[in-house]
Amino acid sequence: MRCGDFRQTYAADMAIFETSFARRLLLLFFAVLLVVPAFASSFWLDVLNRILIAVVAATGLNILTGFTGQISLGNAAFLAVGAYTTAVLAGRLGLPFPVVIPVAGVVTALVGMVFGVPSLRLKGLYLAVATLAAHFVIEFTITHWESMTGGVNGISVPAAQLGPLVLEGDRRLYYLALPLTAGLLLFAKNLFRTKVGKAFVAIRDQDISAEVMGVHVFRYKLLSFGVSSFYVGVAGALLGYQARIISPENFPITLAIDYLGMIIIGGMGSILGSIFGAVFITLLPELLRLAVGPLSSSFPQLTTLFASLKMGVFGLAIVLFLVFEPDGMAARWHTIKNYWKLYPFSY
Amino acid sequence: MTAMRNLLLALAALGLSSARAEAQEIKVGGLFDLTGITSDVGKPYAQGAQDAVAWVNEHGGVNGKKIKLIAVDYGYKIPEAVSAYKRMVGDEKVIMINGWGTGDTLALKEFVNKDQIPYFSASFAGDLTDPSKTPYNFFCAPSYSDELRAWLSWVKEDWKGKGNAKVAFFYGDNPYGKAPMEAGRRFAKENGIDVVDEEIVPGNFQDATSQLLNMKQKGAEYAYINVTTTGVSLILKGAKALGLTTKFGSNPYGFSEQLPLVAKEAAEGVTGVVPHVPWGENVPGMKAMMDFHKAHHPNDTHDAMYVRGWTYVMVWSEALRRADKAGNLTGPGVKAAAETLRDFDTGGLTSHLTYTPTDHRPTTKTKVYMVKGGKLVFVKEYEMPRRADWLGL
Repeated sequence: MRCGDFRQTYAADMAIFETSFARRLLLLFFAVLLVVPAFASSFWLDVLNRILIAVVAATGLNILTGFTGQISLGNAAFLAVGAYTTAVLAGRLGLPFPVVIPVAGVVTALVGMVFGVPSLRLKGLYLAVATLAAHFVIEFTITHWESMTGGVNGISVPAAQLGPLVLEGDRRLYYLALPLTAGLLLFAKNLFRTKVGKAFVAIRDQDISAEVMGVHVFRYKLLSFGVSSFYVGVAGALLGYQARIISPENFPITLAIDYLGMIIIGGMGSILGSIFGAVFITLLPELLRLAVGPLSSSFPQLTTLFASLKMGVFGLAIVLFLVFEPDGMAARWHTIKNYWKLYPFSY
Repeated sequence: MTAMRNLLLALAALGLSSARAEAQEIKVGGLFDLTGITSDVGKPYAQGAQDAVAWVNEHGGVNGKKIKLIAVDYGYKIPEAVSAYKRMVGDEKVIMINGWGTGDTLALKEFVNKDQIPYFSASFAGDLTDPSKTPYNFFCAPSYSDELRAWLSWVKEDWKGKGNAKVAFFYGDNPYGKAPMEAGRRFAKENGIDVVDEEIVPGNFQDATSQLLNMKQKGAEYAYINVTTTGVSLILKGAKALGLTTKFGSNPYGFSEQLPLVAKEAAEGVTGVVPHVPWGENVPGMKAMMDFHKAHHPNDTHDAMYVRGWTYVMVWSEALRRADKAGNLTGPGVKAAAETLRDFDTGGLTSHLTYTPTDHRPTTKTKVYMVKGGKLVFVKEYEMPRRADWLGL
């Protein structure tokens, strides 16, 4: 039983997993995730893939908003950039996914950095409006650049492929999305143990102090936009491969709000929070749908109410979290964990 | 009490596995729009289709087998439609689908082709009529393109002035709105009608004054509106407020008994294409609908959209019947059975329908109606030739 800190080396202090038990538990969880598709129905596989995509995108947004303190409403548009890059690279040029996904990430990172330039001068609400402009500029471009994007009719994306290997359907795509998500999460977790990550956090906490300490604020803000957009771009690539047909309707402004909701509910400035938030927000409408579905035969008006019900529950969840757990589900998770760690001697 | 018991049963069903299917049941997917931008016409259509399935099941089903319609509201959103499609085909194992909008039907066309799922869409987009490209797509009406051609033919006959008639097109910035426009432009050019203006309206608009003023400036004498009833009535009211003399025409999703009710006197003299007869029309196929109506919901009011949903089920349930008789109740079986329909009569609910393996234009006859005294009055029927270069346009 542990009832105190017994760290004797710097390495132990820096360790991601405090005990080998935690590491083994995580490996076990990963192993369980690997066998899930054998039992899941198409519906749940679809949901699982959408959760993984949301986790990657929410982590990206959390790097920018949660860790660097730069609010962004442009992430639905950045997701679109990643998805459309995938559609063009995979659909027209027939490139395999190991090329397409990183390129989609890099292209989105560049676009994200361009729209991150105003962050030099703008903060808070003003930056939110500037990134909102990014959303509409990109949406307009996609809708009207018909020769490249197919306009409102959308564009189809072939299944992810590498030589003879074709990841057709959700079951196979899951095995691409899961390791990719795990890798990106590990990278993000480690990022904040490096100089770059510390600089991000310094900017978030107090940008003037950060500058006084020698952090090149603008460079790191741009870098944060780049890294964040890279994540969102990769999520967009996966979304393209999963949806197989993308149109501007896949990337409404409400999606950007959903992502902000994910990191608020999950926990700003926490990788674990991005995961919790993404899972919660993606599952919420599906669980509501499952609850409403069987009831709607007796109460037909429920089906029509569903859309507004979903928005209502989403809004209520955000308000409740802001009031009762401003640090998100990740903070609540730590509280619970710490309680049990010292149980029954929690003094 | 019944509602309470149903609620308990539903809750019990929620706990149990829903995958258990009876052998004597045919699963059909239903994608409907009850909450999206086309829900004004999507709701009555969905009710018509669901009622028709209930009627078919009450009257012997498909050779004794019951149809189970798995209805999903997708809110006119393509991603939702793709998600719902995956569920229907992957988990529910439906053998065919009754779909709705143009955008989602076009988006799903590659899926239905690969999965061999016959897809009867409420979208009549001309792109869906060429079986060499979309072998599994069907609809039960003249195509949007033929409907626009028919309306333009009416314009040509109606126009008594000098020179060419000047026409404007109003359409939404979505695949449904844009579907027949290229066909319309070409037909107008071939027939000496000038398309002087095209106005794009947003999906959910409240006011079309700027578009109408633009159209007035271009001098259009006629205008075809390709949005749903709510949008059509907004445009008509706006035009009346501006005192425009333009003669408006509407597509089949903007023209039903609802239009004069919503647009009031602004709807007078407006023409529209009506592929499925208005509610209560004196045709033999209306009797079953009336009987069902009296038995189940005598106080409701219905319109041509309800009739459309009903008609669809009459057509594809016949395809199911023929596929079942041939002992091939599968996707390809239903497709093949549908392609044996020749001059199929729905009791006058729509024109006689014919599908062949090389041509999925069910009919090329379009009825044009006009609003007179708040009622829809039949004007004339136009038949378009089955030109090879119009297949898939």
